[in-house]
Formats: sequence, C-alpha cells, structure tokens
Amino acid sequence: MKLLVVEDEALLRHHLYTRLGEQGHVVDAVADAEEALYQVSEYNHDLAIIDLGLPGMNGLDLIRELRSQGKAFPILVLTARGNWQNKVEGLAAGADDYVVKPFQFEELEARLNALLRRSSGFVQSTIGAGPLLLDLNSKQATLLNQSLALTAYEYRILEYLMRHQQQVVSKDRLIEQLYPDDEERDPNVIEVLVGRLRRKLEGGSGFKPIETVRGQGYLFTQVCR
Amino acid sequence: MPTRKNNKVSSLRVRLMFGAAVTVSLFMLALFPALKQVFTAALEESIEQRLAADASALISAARIIDEQLRMPEKLPDEEFDILPARQIGMIYDNKSNLLWRSSSSKTIKLNYQPKYDGRGHEFLRDTDTDGREYFIYDVEVDLLRGKKADFSIVTMQSVSDYDVMYVSLRQQLYVWLGFALLLLLGFLWLGLGWGVRSLRSLSAELDEVETGKRAALSDEHPRELLRLTRSLNRLLESERQQSERYRHSLDDLAHSLKTPLAVLQGVGEVLSVNPDNSEQVHTLQGQVNRMSQQISYQLQRASLRKSGLLRYQVKLKPLLESLLGALDKVYRDKGVAVTQVFAEELRVPVEQGALLELLGNVLENAYRLCLNEVRISARLTAAGCELTIEDDGPGVPMHQRERILQRGERLDTQYPGQGIGTAVVKDIIDSYGGQLFVEDSDLGGAQFRIIFPLNK
Repeated sequence: MKLLVVEDEALLRHHLYTRLGEQGHVVDAVADAEEALYQVSEYNHDLAIIDLGLPGMNGLDLIRELRSQGKAFPILVLTARGNWQNKVEGLAAGADDYVVKPFQFEELEARLNALLRRSSGFVQSTIGAGPLLLDLNSKQATLLNQSLALTAYEYRILEYLMRHQQQVVSKDRLIEQLYPDDEERDPNVIEVLVGRLRRKLEGGSGFKPIETVRGQGYLFTQVCR
Repeated sequence: MPTRKNNKVSSLRVRLMFGAAVTVSLFMLALFPALKQVFTAALEESIEQRLAADASALISAARIIDEQLRMPEKLPDEEFDILPARQIGMIYDNKSNLLWRSSSSKTIKLNYQPKYDGRGHEFLRDTDTDGREYFIYDVEVDLLRGKKADFSIVTMQSVSDYDVMYVSLRQQLYVWLGFALLLLLGFLWLGLGWGVRSLRSLSAELDEVETGKRAALSDEHPRELLRLTRSLNRLLESERQQSERYRHSLDDLAHSLKTPLAVLQGVGEVLSVNPDNSEQVHTLQGQVNRMSQQISYQLQRASLRKSGLLRYQVKLKPLLESLLGALDKVYRDKGVAVTQVFAEELRVPVEQGALLELLGNVLENAYRLCLNEVRISARLTAAGCELTIEDDGPGVPMHQRERILQRGERLDTQYPGQGIGTAVVKDIIDSYGGQLFVEDSDLGGAQFRIIFPLNK
C-alpha cells in the first residue's frame, strides 16, 4: 500500500518510514502540511498518517483541506495530547482513527491495517476470490489451501488488484504501490511482475483472474469476498 | 462553596418593597391621630352649630307675655314628629330656675345648672346620673333688651348619637386610608419593578454568559451598572484569553514531551530485534510508558480547571452526538447499537471540556468492552443530575470497582496498561463534588452511574 506519513519530528518520521517500509508499504514521509499537499496532488495514496501538532498549518487544517479536495483515503491521526477534545476534533475534521503518542508500533500497524481493510470494503482480515485466499495480516497467499510462494512485490500487486477488484488499474498506479516517488520507475518491470504472478496463479489450478486491458492496465475479474 | 440555609429575604425588590411598605405604614399611623383630631374638631364644631341652631329655634318660639315666658305646646320638630332631629331644650331664668323644658328632655336626669354670668354662650360636655354623656350648648339671651327678661337657653345632644356617627365616619376613614395605602404600595411595586428591571436584565445576560450563549455583557444598562458590567467583561475576556493561552501551552507541552517519548519507544522496538537487549528494552519501554502516563494524567488534570466566573450548564445532546460520531467512526466495524434515554434539553452542570473528557473515557470503555449494546441515560433527580452509562460487556469485577472508587489513589500504583481513563474520570467527578457508582447493568455488563449536584 502507498502511505503518506506527515510528522515533523525527524526521528519519529524516520522510524515510521522504516518500520512501515519493512511491513511492505511504500511510504512517502514528509515534515509539514505543504509538502503533504504536494504529495497527494502528485500521487495516489491509500492511507495517510498525520500528526496533529504540525508546525505551520496544523494537522487538523491539513485533514480538512485533504477532505475538501475530495481525497477519500483513510486518515490515521497521531496525537500527543490524547484528550477527547483533540480526538473528537480530529475525527470530526475527517480522520478515521487516532493513535496517542507514544505508541507501540504494533498498535499503529493494527489500526492502520483495519483502516485499509475497511476502505477497500473488507472488514475481515482476509480477501478471497475463487480458490485464492489472501491473509492481509501475515501477507500470505494460499491457492487451493496450498501456500503460494510470492515475492513481496508480487504480493503487493496481487493485493492491490484484489482490493480494486473489477476496476482497471493502470501500470502507473501499480508502480506507485511498489516504489517510493524518488526511485526510478520502469513500466516494463510491472509487465514482468504481472506475468510471473499470472503463471504462479495459473500453475496447477488454471485460475486466471488477471486480464490485460490494452493501453489502460490490468483488471482483476473475479468477485472478491 | 457550601450553601448556607437562611431565611433572609434575598430579593432586592422584595426588600425595597418591604422597607417602603413599613415606611408608608408608619407614616400613615403617624398621620392618623392628627387626622382624627381634625376630624373630631370639625364634628364638634358642626354639633355646636346645630345646638346653636336649636337654641335659635327655641328663642324664636319663645314669647314674653307680661314678663312671663310663654312657650308653645309643641316645638316645630315635635309638631312634624321628625324624630332624629328632636330638640332637647331647657330655658332657665337668670337665677338658674328652670322655666321650661321640652318634652324630649324629660327623661334626661342631667343635673345641669346654667349660670347667668354674662359670658354669652358655652359649649361643653356633661354626664347625667345614668352615666350618659351630653353635648350642651348654653346661651344667655335678653329677650326684652334690658327689660328683665334674661334667660339661659340650653340645648343638648347625647354624645352616644355622635359616637355612632363618629364610629361610622372613622370606619370610612380607615377604609379610605387602607385603600390609599394599597394603591400606594401597588404603585411602589410597579415602580420598583421598573427600577429593578435593569438588574433583572443584567442577571439574564449573566445567565447567557454563564451558559455560553453570549460572550460578554452588553452596554445597554443604566449608568450606575455600566462600571460593573464593563469590569466583568474585562474579567471574562482576560479569563478567556488566559484559558486559551493555557490550552495552547498544554498542547505544546504535550507535543514537545510525548513526541520524544514516541521516538524512544521506537528506538526500544528497534533494539528489541536483538534478543540480548530484551531486558534493557523492557525497562526502557516500562519507563517510557510510566512517563507518558504521568504526563497525560497531569496534563489532563491541569486542563480541567474550573472557571470561577462561569456556572456551567452544558447541553448533553450535542456534546454526546459529536462524541458518539467520533466513537462510531473508530469502532465502525463493531456496529455498536447506542440507546439514548434523556430529555432533548437536558443540561449537565459541568464544564464542556471536562464533560467531554469524562464521557469520552467512560464511553470508550463501554464501546471497547461491549458486545454490541451501549445505553446512555440521564435525568434530573432530587440528588442532582444523574448520568448512567451501561453496556452488555463482561462488567467490572468487584476488586476493580473498589479500586476505581478509591479517592486520591496515585496513578503509578495502578496496574500498568490500565491507562489514565478511570483516574481522570474520578478526578473530574470529585472536582465537581459528584459521586460515582460502579454497578451491574441489566444489559448484562457494567453500569457507571454518576451524580453531579446541581449548581443553583
């Protein structure tokens, strides 16, 4: 998933960038609201983690601005005060959940995954389609109850396509999911990855859920549950 | 502040009215003897005039024939039988010998002896042997102008006749004075009402300020009050600014203390990857937790200061709506069914921020622990404003109830991981003189019942 982290404290920002990256997310980590607004205008994020106590434009105003721009991705708020006034204000401004500083990373991760599941319409921590089952917490795929060996990149592509089932997903969109914005991108890599993923899904079961829509991108044709 | 029970009259209008009524009544009482005297004098004068008229009638009826007094058999009013005007008359010679008496005077046993002493006329009172009192008019006349026809003509009237009249007129006087007093008091009441109206409007504005409907007092008050209202406005404004500054300082403090703690927490997590560090990491994280809890708790306590100026009356409904909106968002997957049982207009005598903190902590517990049902009820009782939050969760075990209810328990002695929720809840309730009861709900889970005394 492509995440946006807005936190002014450099050490904490770095910590989040690293830990979330380790969990298989692509993270854009910025220090203030202006940079955050630039990032969301350029890329499609799946979730934002926003510290309320930002210098300049504060976190609440940033959330309001994002919502007024029509950005619908879930927002997780980091708050230092942790009083209900702040929580209610944050949630009323458009945030979806909050974590009070200092937090254990596991707690943040659990909240974040719950928001991601909810935003793609899956309340359960698994997504299934035909013989395929994805465990969103352990990031493992099984096919016909057999563990399916996927690389981290293959898994990310599969999860993203399944979350956006029956929608055409462009290659650029998939690239954003795989690489941070400052890394070099090559659309051919996506073709190679999708090709490998198709072969792994098809092998043995004949399951072909991913179609190519010429000139536009890829489509996960199965209905997910 | 404890309210002292006293029976002193607290309304300014009633006090002024009472003072004015007493003054007016005393004034009337002082006026009364003078009025009575004037009235008596006027009455006696009219009686004297009447008796003088009677005497004139007798004189005109009298005839002197051969130096002898001759009176008609019947006097004019006896002739016409006009009873109430019956004349009582006697005629004496200058030696005080009774020469004639009217038939009406025959029952009077009055031992009156006129003295013919050339003093003209006299008006006096005398009592007969039966104790009946009479007004007596005694006039000396010389009917033949020097020809030895000197007579004393005496007319009289019973004082009891006069008493009847006097009592009836006095009653009328009482009635009129009473009526005048009532009328005066009525006007006074209206006048005082008009005067006190500005105080009432000031009081109404203060109510609005206290309940947050108005930011400051208006300038539409009489000159005498303007200095007071302007001082109050300055005080309100300075308190507001101070509280705003205070809130920002606390926010900054929280941010600047807890963000480094979050970094330390993160460092601990990174270090914990190496199993050799686990003991140190455990200590580090324990200390980070403890510091974080202390900071949160002290900041919350600091932010929950009560204003000395404002009397809080916070409408429960909108506050609860925003809180439930937030909780529903966080616990969306759980689909908690919330029932609200209270009057639309119900107000709670607690400052907005404190009430939000209190309900936030209690309700989050309920949302977290319930299966899917939470009930919030509120009502005004004789004891005060009662808030009840119930859920269908596992309930609170007995030993934990006592711990929650204990006063002044230090946070760091509490079980780790419990958070500061219940400590803050207890603090808020204590600072408003309220009571907390942790009970079983008929929903099957915990019931937190909170009673705040009403500030009158």
